[in-house]
Amino acid sequence: MCLVCAAACHQNRHPINIEFSATWAGQPLTCSSSDPSLTDLRFFVSDVTLIDASGQDYPFAFKADGRWQQEHVGLIDLENGEGGCVNGTKETNFRLTGSAKGIDFDGIRFTIGVPFDSNHANPLLADAPLDDSAMHWHWRSGYKFLRAGVATASDGFWIHLGSTACEGTVQDISVCRSPNRVTVQLAGFSRENNRIRFDLAQLLDGVDLTDGVKSDCSSGPSESACVAPFEALGLPIGSLVVRPMPNIIFEIDH
Amino acid sequence: MKKISVFAALIILAVVVYSNRPVAFDWQLPDDYPAPQVPYDNPMSVAKVELGRWLFYDTRLSGNNTMSCGSCHLQILAFTDGRASSIGSTGAPHPRSSMSLVNVAYASRLTWANPLLDRLEDQALTPLLGDNPVEMGMAGRDAEIAALLKSDRNYEQLAKTAFPNDENPYSVLNAIRAIAAFVRSIVSFDSAYDRFLAGDPAAISPAAEKGMTLFFSERLECFHCHGGFNFTDSTTHANTDRERVGFHNNGLYNIDQSGAYPEDNTGLFDMTGVVRDMGRFKAPSLRNIALTKPYMHDGSIATLEEVLNHYSRGGRLTKSGETAGDGRLNPFKSEFIGGFDLNDSERAQLIEFLESLTDKSVLTDERWSDPFAQ
Repeated sequence: MCLVCAAACHQNRHPINIEFSATWAGQPLTCSSSDPSLTDLRFFVSDVTLIDASGQDYPFAFKADGRWQQEHVGLIDLENGEGGCVNGTKETNFRLTGSAKGIDFDGIRFTIGVPFDSNHANPLLADAPLDDSAMHWHWRSGYKFLRAGVATASDGFWIHLGSTACEGTVQDISVCRSPNRVTVQLAGFSRENNRIRFDLAQLLDGVDLTDGVKSDCSSGPSESACVAPFEALGLPIGSLVVRPMPNIIFEIDH
Repeated sequence: MKKISVFAALIILAVVVYSNRPVAFDWQLPDDYPAPQVPYDNPMSVAKVELGRWLFYDTRLSGNNTMSCGSCHLQILAFTDGRASSIGSTGAPHPRSSMSLVNVAYASRLTWANPLLDRLEDQALTPLLGDNPVEMGMAGRDAEIAALLKSDRNYEQLAKTAFPNDENPYSVLNAIRAIAAFVRSIVSFDSAYDRFLAGDPAAISPAAEKGMTLFFSERLECFHCHGGFNFTDSTTHANTDRERVGFHNNGLYNIDQSGAYPEDNTGLFDMTGVVRDMGRFKAPSLRNIALTKPYMHDGSIATLEEVLNHYSRGGRLTKSGETAGDGRLNPFKSEFIGGFDLNDSERAQLIEFLESLTDKSVLTDERWSDPFAQ
């Protein structure tokens, strides 16, 4: 009886949520925090896979909700438009909802980014959340996979991450030589420990937030301001010397 | 009596059928000039262009209601803004100079250095929704544009007429299509030079004619990049399948002798990441060039005389400051920019020729004027 159940249960999908929060050196970070405050934190998540203790993969199926998620991608929005988040929105979404086969997990793998086919379709014809024009990168084609920023009283930094060096034309992109999708794998993710911290202090570890010079990175191939955050994201950039590092930006919140 | 009513019915039927048929759009081109290419999903119509004209000049299309498309594209300046580089609705500086919209319908690629942008419908999204820098500042607020189409009585009527087959014509997509159709409609070939070509030998001065010969000479090489009926090699039209696209480094910068351009204006390189693309920009159309100063992608050359000095030297020497370097020695410079000697009378002739490319009718044509000002 138990064996039958175990086998059957194994085949069924079970709801599971994945939650995100913003932190700065481990402490909660919001638009109303100070030194620094958050100024933006929105990102697309796709290709989510749950992993059990034996290393087996269980693909996560997004539950389409007409607002934050469609079949292959979800949008996380951790800013509420208050305080330092002047370009933000009131609405927030800190959770991906969906299902996976399997019960007991010990890890997760996900991608910050929008899958290629959806990324280069016409945004004015797209379903939510890909209809969000603040997340689209019209002149490069494709979406901003990640908008993130912080500000202190006298300094600040923001990054827009998305595919660059794309070939073809806007309506017909064949390839992007710098796809700039970030794959993250975390051990210890389970139904109980389903909260993931996004630590901006780690993303911006190499950025000087005390020199009074506000700078930004929009993923261009020669933007020197991109070197530090790209290293933290584990991405190469253009012809600049970048030493991609293993992920320390995301961690399970135990 | 019965015969008459059948006849009347036929007339009514004919009128109904005819009025539902799209009328071919009249570009009002002179003979021998090709029509522009038009995307299959956005055919031209008078009604759509009219809707686009209102939207183009409507400041409600900016986040703080201060700016329209027309704010950086003034008809009186051949749809440029006279600034070295433009300023967005919130005061954010743009790294590049506003480009003329006259005959942009013939551009195979749009903006200064974007190999991906080949449709005005796609280009329009950047000034409207872009936030780096903020231009019109509607990112995340595009639903307000659809709401405006529906709530404003003028737009409600115009949108219905412009998109008669749409169940819901009040969409951002249709607003974009209408603006693109309006901008595409700004085509004109009524300069002194065009009248000269059409057979009026007195249309341009003898000096301008000599300047024309210089312009098209292998000695000066201007026409390699600024050739064809629209004076740019990035030109396409309805009668060709061939796609011509050109981006050129013209030796404006050579920072640290490495070929580098200022970080916020690296041209094609910013889009491709390929080193040899450093400093490559599209050669803009020279039509109305006398009206569209200052020159170059960053507006860093003030006058046509100085532009000629630049090309005569074969690149710009910046002696000091952050952008110091000799552009003439830029390793990525176009092979056509080798420099040339020009005496004073030749210089004046060339200027006079460039001035003959001014098409004054564009500046006042009511088809493209601001309807809010009338």
